[in-house]
Amino acid sequence: MPKSWPMPTDVLMLLELQMRLSRAILRGDTAEIVAAILGDGLDPAARVGIYRNHAFATLGDALRGTFPVVCRLVDKRFFAYAAHEYLREHPPHSRCLVEYGADFADFLAQFAPCEQLPYLADVARFEWALNIAATVRQETPLQAESLAAIPPAEAAYVALRMQPSLSYLVSPWPIDAVWQANQEDVPPTIDLASGGASLQIRRAGETVAWRRLDPGSFAFRTALADGLVLAAAMSAATLKDPAFELTESLRQVFAEGLAVAFCISPKQETSR
Amino acid sequence: MTKCRPIPSHGVGIGLRSPHVSEIAATRPELAFLEMHAENYMAETPALERLLELRRDYAVSLHGVALSLGSAEELDRGHLGRFKALIERIEPMLVSEHLAWSAVGGAYLNDLLPLPYTEASLDLFCRHVEEAQEALGRRLLIENPSSYLRYRDSLIPEAEFITEVVCRTGCGILCDVNNIYVSAWNFGFDPFDYLDALPIAAIGEIHLAGHHAAEDVDILIDDHGSRVAQPVWELHAAALRRFGPVPTLIEWDTDLPALGVLLDEAHHAEKLAHADRRADAA
Repeated sequence: MPKSWPMPTDVLMLLELQMRLSRAILRGDTAEIVAAILGDGLDPAARVGIYRNHAFATLGDALRGTFPVVCRLVDKRFFAYAAHEYLREHPPHSRCLVEYGADFADFLAQFAPCEQLPYLADVARFEWALNIAATVRQETPLQAESLAAIPPAEAAYVALRMQPSLSYLVSPWPIDAVWQANQEDVPPTIDLASGGASLQIRRAGETVAWRRLDPGSFAFRTALADGLVLAAAMSAATLKDPAFELTESLRQVFAEGLAVAFCISPKQETSR
Repeated sequence: MTKCRPIPSHGVGIGLRSPHVSEIAATRPELAFLEMHAENYMAETPALERLLELRRDYAVSLHGVALSLGSAEELDRGHLGRFKALIERIEPMLVSEHLAWSAVGGAYLNDLLPLPYTEASLDLFCRHVEEAQEALGRRLLIENPSSYLRYRDSLIPEAEFITEVVCRTGCGILCDVNNIYVSAWNFGFDPFDYLDALPIAAIGEIHLAGHHAAEDVDILIDDHGSRVAQPVWELHAAALRRFGPVPTLIEWDTDLPALGVLLDEAHHAEKLAHADRRADAA
């Protein structure tokens, strides 16, 4: 049978119908869709409600799966409310729900009912980093010896490509301790005034690993992850820690298998 | 990797859900195949590694839930590319998607939303099935949805619509018997008539699952949250009589029980399949 492409107006009408149902599901306003739906013995708005309930329940479940500690900190009912408000304005773009929630932490930071919990958004950022690290494969680490052949004059201009699962996160709150405490059935008390955390999060085999870093190492590694050359990364680190020691820090980067490739970038100027 | 391990035509499988993966890996229950939602394995997660290990011992079927073939927009080429990459790694025996849409205007709603069944939506849906089959390099099975609403402009009966999609695109049908039962109840049509209207040669797989009755209103909800209901088993028996042996899947998503419950349901489906084969031979 020959294929016939429908008139654009037909497709536009279908698109308009789908946009209306989408708005009814996300915002709960069924006024502009009900006329298109048969009652069949039930209020058309109630029929839309069945789809709306399913969408919100499953997307809410997805968020709870990605942010379990945030959910525990605020309790399930409040989390469901926050997730509902988030969903209305920030539905997923990716069809893979493990990738849903990138800006949930930013949403929580602005969400007035959460303002009594100033650390909550950073706990969400930490959980997002754990989640994303679990979706990225660990690449074969670069061996330190690979850099041995680089002429000394060019060493300062070496840029490392780092493990793609890596992320770095700094918070004025001890979010890693809060997260760890909430892995227990009865969470121990955490002193929120005990200081912040500078964290590195990465995929490690079948799990995700995270650790605290001192200020110099944090500055050095975030600079490397941003693509800065060694000299620039060292300058950034020395600003945070005047006693920063390049050779030992670089040795640790390789010992942890964080670098996966390198290039020499002669045009990049070092910061002074 | 074993290439495209075949699924016996009378074989019964179960939907692979993450809480069961370790037990399946450890006990290797006898199952004709495992089916998984494609979207759960499109990222490089440890779950994908475990699936690749299971793949050595089981035939698999990839069930897409988010391609949104019914969207009145262009297909999401990025998603299609990820689907193709997963097919190349998993080498599934069957690949399926839905007669539905789930995304519009950049928002993915994570639900299988109904289309109005019109000439325009038929043309659109067929174009998308053809594009997807070409991009994936595979014949798709298209699943009939469970529905809770019908549009005023929807004029073509669903079984006729899906049959026309088969004729125009060469796709197959994933016949969800529970969905037929649920929609038939919700809209007051005869589910056996629906089965009789489907083209026998196109049926590539059957889905079975549980449903529940909504509170307050006379609506059945397809929640995949309980054992297959007795009337659905009866409809399934009629489907086997009409279609002959077809790979059959037990699906369970809500309130997931112990693996043994799914295996028990699969065993029941196997008994029905064998009874049907004996009836054929007699």
